Amino acid sequence: MTSTLPQTVSPFLEPGPRTKPNSLAVLQLSRDNFVPVYLQQASGEHDGYVEGAVINTRYGSFPHSTLLNVPWGSQVRASKVDTGSRGRKRKWQLDEEAGRATSEPIEDEKETGNGAGEENGDGDEGKQLVTDTSGFIHVLPPTPEIWTTSLPHRTQVVYTPDASYILHRIRARPGSTLIEAGAGSGSFTHASARAVYNGSLVKGKRPGKVFSFEFHEERYHKMKKELSDHALDGIVQLTHRDVYKDGFLVDGKSPEADAVFLDLPAPWEALPLLSRQRPQLREGEAGEAGANPWVSPLHPKKSVFICTFSPCVEQVTRTVSTLRHLGWVDIEMVEIANRKLHTARDRVGLYLPVDRGVNSSAKDIEEAITKLTEIEERFRENARPKQPADGSEPAKVASKAATNGKTSVDEAALKYPWLDGRLVTRGEPEIKTHTSYLVFAVLPMVWTAEDEATALARYPIGNEKFVVSLMGKASMKEERREAMQQKQGNRKSRRKDRDEKLAEAEG
Amino acid sequence: MYSSIIRPNTWVAIRLPSGVTRNILVTPNATISLGKYGSFPANLIIERPYHVTFEIEDQRPDEKYSRIRIVPASELYAEIFADEESPDCSAPTVDAAKPVISAEDGVEFTLVDAESGKLVTRSSGEVIDENARQTLTQEEIEELKREGSNAGKDVIAKLMLSHTALDQKTSFSLAKYKLLKTKKYIRRFQILPVDVPNLAHWQLEERDASKILDLRAEMIALVGSWGNVHYGGDSVYLGDPMATCEQGEEALAPLQGDLLNGRWLVVDDTGGLLVAAIAERMGVLFPELDEDEDSLDEQARREKRERREAEKEAEDNQDGDVDMADADDPANRAIDGARPKKVRSSDFAIPYSQTNTITVVHSASQPSLPFLGYWDFDAVAPSHAEHPLCRHLMCLTWLQLLKPELDTAYSTPPLTASPELLGSWKPSRRGNFHRKRRRFARTRHVVEATRAGGFSGLVCASTMDPISILKHTLPLLAGGAPVSMYSPTLEPLAALADCFSVSRRTAWTSGTLPEMVAKTVEELERWEGSEQFPLNPTLLLGTSIQTSRARRWQVLPGRTHPLMTERGGTDGYVFTAWRAKPAAGKVAAKGKFKRRKLETGSAAESEAADTPKA
Ligand SMILES: C[S@@+](CC[C@H](N)C(=O)[O-])C[C@H]1O[C@@H](n2cnc3c(N)ncnc32)[C@H](O)[C@@H]1O
Repeated sequence: MTSTLPQTVSPFLEPGPRTKPNSLAVLQLSRDNFVPVYLQQASGEHDGYVEGAVINTRYGSFPHSTLLNVPWGSQVRASKVDTGSRGRKRKWQLDEEAGRATSEPIEDEKETGNGAGEENGDGDEGKQLVTDTSGFIHVLPPTPEIWTTSLPHRTQVVYTPDASYILHRIRARPGSTLIEAGAGSGSFTHASARAVYNGSLVKGKRPGKVFSFEFHEERYHKMKKELSDHALDGIVQLTHRDVYKDGFLVDGKSPEADAVFLDLPAPWEALPLLSRQRPQLREGEAGEAGANPWVSPLHPKKSVFICTFSPCVEQVTRTVSTLRHLGWVDIEMVEIANRKLHTARDRVGLYLPVDRGVNSSAKDIEEAITKLTEIEERFRENARPKQPADGSEPAKVASKAATNGKTSVDEAALKYPWLDGRLVTRGEPEIKTHTSYLVFAVLPMVWTAEDEATALARYPIGNEKFVVSLMGKASMKEERREAMQQKQGNRKSRRKDRDEKLAEAEG
Repeated sequence: MYSSIIRPNTWVAIRLPSGVTRNILVTPNATISLGKYGSFPANLIIERPYHVTFEIEDQRPDEKYSRIRIVPASELYAEIFADEESPDCSAPTVDAAKPVISAEDGVEFTLVDAESGKLVTRSSGEVIDENARQTLTQEEIEELKREGSNAGKDVIAKLMLSHTALDQKTSFSLAKYKLLKTKKYIRRFQILPVDVPNLAHWQLEERDASKILDLRAEMIALVGSWGNVHYGGDSVYLGDPMATCEQGEEALAPLQGDLLNGRWLVVDDTGGLLVAAIAERMGVLFPELDEDEDSLDEQARREKRERREAEKEAEDNQDGDVDMADADDPANRAIDGARPKKVRSSDFAIPYSQTNTITVVHSASQPSLPFLGYWDFDAVAPSHAEHPLCRHLMCLTWLQLLKPELDTAYSTPPLTASPELLGSWKPSRRGNFHRKRRRFARTRHVVEATRAGGFSGLVCASTMDPISILKHTLPLLAGGAPVSMYSPTLEPLAALADCFSVSRRTAWTSGTLPEMVAKTVEELERWEGSEQFPLNPTLLLGTSIQTSRARRWQVLPGRTHPLMTERGGTDGYVFTAWRAKPAAGKVAAKGKFKRRKLETGSAAESEAADTPKA
């Protein structure tokens, strides 16, 4: 854990203003297509090539040098890369290096140069890259939200609508200590790390920490690597462990957690090990109780908040029952339904030019009538003898008048396609299926008779001087005012002003 | 850091048996009255734990107050555990021989005769004392409560008996019935800390939801996450320019752009709830930052607090108008917790950290953040006791941001006076002089720092048109910074998203628009808006609108189902995006599409994703 190397702050937490070499960046190829990448400075040989890496996408080729040291959010144009001299060599870097698994063909091209006009010390200096018209991408700083949609999936993951709500409810805040099991693909882990992070430089401040557990060995190793690549290993301490059996202590010590998140198939197996007192032995377990003193992984002086995440009701029932027996309170089960909404311009009309997204049917009754009249006219016209005696064409004239000149297409109608049509919103085409049930609970701290005696001695009773009532708002205000008069000092009156302001705000 | 122990003089939420919560200030030596549920001395909850369930006990004969006790969880759940033990959980009770509610095993709902203590009813209802079946009048109920005997349990018992149809009820409705009556009369309560989730819940469910724009927990969570709001780095302070009172504007500490980091720009029309939520995520909401208080023993903790208060008093007496800048001083770029010994700072010392800050832009002349009062913070107080928000929250008006020269506080040069003259003034006048100078320096700093831009994110919950908010704030965001805007209604956000539609972006990047001719990228970043293009459509990436809704379930043995009593109200929506830095000039956006032969991983992309992102 304690590395002697200077700890760099994670790009997830303090990305700085620009992209940096050897640090994680996210390329946005299109709306929902994100590719995580570690940008590398072109420096000497790279996999048999003299120049640095290039990212190939359907929008063209992007040498890393064009993506380095640019402000985050930059739009970067594709570059023409010379593939001739060495020929094409495709390397499909699939899951080879965690986090770098982009499932995009990454090509190392024989081309390098100065990106975005920045001086790049290595490689073939001076050789200008030529912009390719094939397109562009944007480069974004990593966030837990983006990571969740672009991470290499090794398990089911917790997505942002659930993760954000859970972290809010279990009071994961800067300085919190959170226990998480199992780590899985690390989606929730990243969001947790951001939530508990509280800097590192200040002495005497307890650093926010995530104690994460995973028993699947390969996943454990992948995630370990990922955490160090993301410079999150100072915040997240990952342990390879079967928590059902071996609990949550780390190096025999209590993490002193005040928040817990369990995304496990059988949370009730883990819950007894998250008690404040020694759990009762389960059947079939050896009776080595009393051999070692029991150490609780929970913070002894704090209420502990928990959330368990389970896909089916049967698991929930069992979890809730176990929580009750273990003394957890305020147990609540919640299901989050999240929906994305898309906006569009609905363009409907018979006389609109044929275009993508145009619905060529009548936009209203009037238009329908006009069209029908037109058809009737034409029908009658056809039914009439070809050459009327006088040679005139009365029917056509009438038709023109009726349609107000709109015989075919209204060319002016779609001059500004972004303004025409009615603005509408639509829900996601596929209805988001149920993810999981979230069970929340709180475990209050233990309160002993001695604790009570101490508190009672410090705050003796029997000297009550006034009443604070919860009932009517008006009487509440009155009582508060009275209460305030009991106190002296301008600090108190400042508080009083504030209270009144609050009361008004609520009123 | 928030504490799990109830501290004196803090706001707490009391959750009553009915499930209703009420916020009160816990004042030592007060009696807290829960109305019909009874009352108890406030001192009995001070320095006791949050979240436990208390029960008001019967008054002892020699005492004038009721004591309270902590109800163990086993007792809270006794009834449920009994249900669990019944062989068939899916259809509980209906064991005629077994009383639903028995006196012996300590289960709370003893359906007994108050006098004899004899069991009077069973689930089948066959052993009903005929006399007890008559309906109680409201008066009788009041009487029973006044007597306060047996902590309200016998009221419940009597009420249940009074329900003549009790014996006809199915076990299911019987359970429900018990629950309802229990909620109403049992004298139990919980003390919850006033934190953002609890305050929001309380305001939403029990007060006026419109005051917080119906901002539900799901939305607070989403808006904060997508805004990437988090601890924005250890505090960094500007050096004190050591301005003497003869110096004017020239002595102001210059802004240092490279120090500005981890700053969020906020527009809040929820009375400060949004700011509180953001502050909570940044670790600057709770007054007591030094968490080690919890580990100190009681005595040490009290001493420490007393010492701090004494210091404070001393300060207050020192000068007519001491305010927070003097409470303790920012060192030269010192870090939190490592502030050096107090040296009186000059008027132009900037109390604000350059990092981990919240900048609120407001439309009235004063910010309206009354909810922060629950955490002992007042954004408009002229002077303030130490609070993390004093150093991490800055407020300015839209006028100060956009036309500072029209703002008096910003544009009036600071007063100066020779030390002799100053010495000849009355203390109150001197105080006024310093206050004005301090106000000037701060206003200048806040305005300049905000106008310097480079914000890490924009988070809004406002009644103002989001398009107009973005018009003026987009230029202030750093590249890649998230935008996260809440609205109780969908339409404003839909209109906003439409400004970034594919067709708008395509038209814009085609480079053929007359409006854009001869404009630099910088000028286009400050695009003032036209009818066709209210906003520069290339300044945001990944625009998206979403909504979330939590549905609560009841989980009881054999009776697990979604709750029907869910509060209605609006869903609320969140618009999210990231700030882009567009490349200069015309940008081709064709993409190399090999139709039919989709690349790995892109097969699932929707049509929208296929469209070039111009
Ligand atoms: C659904 S995944 C968790 C996904 C994770 N929350 C995320 O957002 O990426 C569940 C993980 O729990 C791990 N697991 C299951 N039982 C475990 C146990 N007894 N101890 C530790 N980890 C366990 C599994 O290996 C799996 O990786």
